[in-house]
Amino acid sequence: MNRTLNVVRMQLVNRMTYIWIPLIILGGSFVLSLLIWSMIPYGGTKYSGGSQAPLWYFFAVGIQALTLTFPFSQAMSVTRRAFFIGTLTTAALTSAILAAVFVAGGALELATHGWGMNGYFFYIDWIWAAGPAGAALFFFMVAMLFFVFGFWGATIFKRFGAIGLTIVLVALGLLLVGAIWLIGRVDAWGAVGAWLTTQSAISFALWGLVLTAVLSVISYGTMRRLVP
Amino acid sequence: MTSVIEVEHLTKRYRDTIAVDDITFAIEKDVIYGLLGRNGAGKTSVMSILTAQNFATSGDVRVFGEDPYENGRVLSRVCFVRESQKYPDDAKPPHAFATARLFFPNWSQELCDRLVAEFELPMRTRIKKLSRGQLSAVGVIIGLASRAEITFFDEPYLGLDAVARQLFYDRLVEDYTAHPRTVILSSHLIDEVANLIERVLVIDHGRIIMDEETDAVRDRAATIVGDTAAVDAFVAGREVIHRESLGHVSSVTVIGTLSPDDRRRLGEAGLEVAPVSLQQLIVRTTQHTDTARTEGAAR
Amino acid sequence: MIEEGRPLFLQIAESVEDSIIDGSLAEEAQAPSTNELAAFYRINPATAAKGVNMLVDKGVIHKRRGIGMFVSPGARDLLLAERRTVFADRFVEPLLDEARKLGLGADDLGQLIRERMTASHTDTEGPAR
Repeated sequence: MNRTLNVVRMQLVNRMTYIWIPLIILGGSFVLSLLIWSMIPYGGTKYSGGSQAPLWYFFAVGIQALTLTFPFSQAMSVTRRAFFIGTLTTAALTSAILAAVFVAGGALELATHGWGMNGYFFYIDWIWAAGPAGAALFFFMVAMLFFVFGFWGATIFKRFGAIGLTIVLVALGLLLVGAIWLIGRVDAWGAVGAWLTTQSAISFALWGLVLTAVLSVISYGTMRRLVP
Repeated sequence: MTSVIEVEHLTKRYRDTIAVDDITFAIEKDVIYGLLGRNGAGKTSVMSILTAQNFATSGDVRVFGEDPYENGRVLSRVCFVRESQKYPDDAKPPHAFATARLFFPNWSQELCDRLVAEFELPMRTRIKKLSRGQLSAVGVIIGLASRAEITFFDEPYLGLDAVARQLFYDRLVEDYTAHPRTVILSSHLIDEVANLIERVLVIDHGRIIMDEETDAVRDRAATIVGDTAAVDAFVAGREVIHRESLGHVSSVTVIGTLSPDDRRRLGEAGLEVAPVSLQQLIVRTTQHTDTARTEGAAR
Repeated sequence: MIEEGRPLFLQIAESVEDSIIDGSLAEEAQAPSTNELAAFYRINPATAAKGVNMLVDKGVIHKRRGIGMFVSPGARDLLLAERRTVFADRFVEPLLDEARKLGLGADDLGQLIRERMTASHTDTEGPAR
């Protein structure tokens, strides 16, 4: 257990990777959005897609956690299990921080009526429908999901090569297309649509966490026989 | 003598190549081993498997009496320094050393700092921007300062110039003397490490062809030089591992320690004896084994 | 210093013996420790230890517990006797082999030896102790 904690410390040894860069990206994207809004002569509600930026960075971090930090952890004589748990814990910690920043930002946004410009970077109605706690859970889930997607993709790539990853992605694509076709076949779009509208940020968050858990388990299984 | 590593019938197969071919050996506590062999002979495969970074196709590996795979208790007492080690993106040497300090219970910060100064390692440069030699220095420093009970060095000095290599050898022996530990050093620069290794393990094409005390092997061979007829008369019945001729002068390397009697006969026959260095012995023996293999396969 | 083709531990032992014979290492004086020898010759201390143990077994040096290794009394005489026994094999045989090649007989050799000895080797006992 102690070594697992040390894996977290290892990941955080270089503050830049998990703490500063995501905040810098977020900050930069935010400032950019503010500038753009200030230049648009439109009084209505404005949204920014810039809040995605740190998420894509998390995706990249997830990839590098495996491609670079995993081989290094092996050199540090860390077991795969300790590395896996420690790394996901670090991802969870930083996702939580990001979620907190988003919630705080959203609250500020509401209070200032969109920074006095009716511009919304952090606040999205349906995510906040269940309140700040629900929003926090949602943001946490999204950040974790991006990280784990990167991590999972990298394990498949390292273990099974480019061909392996391509096959997996194509198979997933086929599954998705197959599902869509099947839904159309049994004429269930209405039911699907109805179900979607009953979903809230919280239920999305929970589904997302289930997906995160599934991908994590697959990653761990793949990692167990991975050569650094 | 306690064994800290026991390997039995270890085999590693990659698709259609056999990298490690049914080898059995033991590593004794607090001895410096030289794991010698050509590039591609199987040295890295063996070390990776012993440290559970790679997996055996078949066979048994015990480190401190246990299976090393996913075994934190055992692995924390082991350190594997390899060439081309990957480090986290944007990491600088202090990050790597701070991390090593977290995971190696016997880590010596004092030794680390001293080595950083001696190797002149730039601490503010990102590891991915370091030169080949500086990158090797990082690995070597981690391996030495870890003071891990079993430390593997896989050709760790690639990129280090001769001065830096000598520094590594000197510090290794020095630290080993003060803090004994088991060291397995793989190298193809045999003559450079010959004086610091207590035992030699020679691997060729995935098989162990020598597992001896270095000192026992030092006089294992001799080169007889002189008139071809006289040389041939002397080496009759001995195992010849190398032969060269120029005109009617031949230089023949034979296995077998020369007795004082032998030396007298050689002197009387007007033949010269040249010593065979460890590197020459291993190179010639390996070549000899390879030739026998290819001839055997051709038949 | 270190020769190829000969076990290191023998060479270590010999170098200590050489210093005893030429008088630079006196009897009852402290002999170099295993670690000192290993550091000086840049070799594995286990090998140096083997050489030191050989000297102990031979009776050339002995251990004084807690202090270190010391040259035993009578060590020099012991070594001189040993060296004289192998002198013929080590030095005289090669001399004779070369002499044979050059066609020098026993009388020629005797004359050469006498000449050289009186010219520069006036002292046959070694440096005074």
